[in-house]
Amino acid sequence: MTRRQVRARMRRMKEKFDEAEEDTGEINLVPYMDIVTNIIIFLLASVVNQVPLGTVNASSPTFGGGGGGGEEEKPTLNLTVTVGNSGFTLAGSGGVMPPIPKLGTGDYDYVALTTKLTEVKNQFKDETKATFNADAGTPYETVIKTLDAMREDKDGHMLFPDIVFAAGIL
Amino acid sequence: MGAQAGVSPEVEARLKGKKAIRSYARKLSDPEDISGLNITPMMDMMTIILVFLLKSFTSSAMLVNQDQNMLLPSSNSRLNAKQAVAVTVTKRVLLVDGEPVAPINSGKFDPALKRDGADGYYVTPLVEILSRVARKEKKVAEMTGQKFDGELTIIADRHTPYRLLTEVLYSCGQAEYANYRLLILKSRE
Repeated sequence: MTRRQVRARMRRMKEKFDEAEEDTGEINLVPYMDIVTNIIIFLLASVVNQVPLGTVNASSPTFGGGGGGGEEEKPTLNLTVTVGNSGFTLAGSGGVMPPIPKLGTGDYDYVALTTKLTEVKNQFKDETKATFNADAGTPYETVIKTLDAMREDKDGHMLFPDIVFAAGIL
Repeated sequence: MGAQAGVSPEVEARLKGKKAIRSYARKLSDPEDISGLNITPMMDMMTIILVFLLKSFTSSAMLVNQDQNMLLPSSNSRLNAKQAVAVTVTKRVLLVDGEPVAPINSGKFDPALKRDGADGYYVTPLVEILSRVARKEKKVAEMTGQKFDGELTIIADRHTPYRLLTEVLYSCGQAEYANYRLLILKSRE
């Protein structure tokens, strides 16, 4: 057997082997991998930039045949929190409470409001409803902060989570 | 291995050739010889991550683009946002489900768009559009055997004056939407 014959045999053998490998070989996953990697990077970037969103629940007063629900027999507190230019005013069925003035910095005193509402809640433990009203120019941010102060105290105990926006404004 | 005595050089060359071919064939079929990296397990892992990310991406009910005309207020509320009809109040425009409804100038609607003029609360285009949406939602609720809950998501800029907000809420109420979810940014504690 000459050297040339041996080489020719080896070449044929290699060709046969490659052919057999090609026939049984797996599909090429590399392009799919590229696509998936790109999508993952994009999704990760968008998830990181996402801001946590939540909601504050409120409702409008129901007129006429609206489905207000609830038993009519119980005496209601009719608590109303009003945001005015000078501070908060609290009123209920029993009358109007002394106003909570703004702080020296010009900010509303949300802590004092929560404290006052905690006192009210201690006397009317089953009451969860409160009406909200505000001055025409009150910014939405102040509305939300007031609703926060009305909803729960600093320890996370529920005060008046069922907020109803008053009909009309100051 | 040297040439054996009595073996002709022709036979010796054939034997050598066969030996070389046998060792080449052994080398070709050697399983220890790794020709490429097996990426299948990595593919599986990537696909699982992709599905997880897509799922968490779609489960966040709302996406709000914030810019200087639309900055959400922050709150300590723990309630999560829910999918509902979205009424957006930016500094410049009022939108329902992303469709512009009425322009806003300096925190006010154009009096011509209100049924009762400048002092009115009834914003006609908003009531008209929401009434249409409410009719559709009622029909869907009826078909699926559910109750129409009249729920609405209010997405408003943090500087929106209460008067404007009241006009929007009043108009929503006129279209039978009386329960509001005010969208906020959850403040991190």
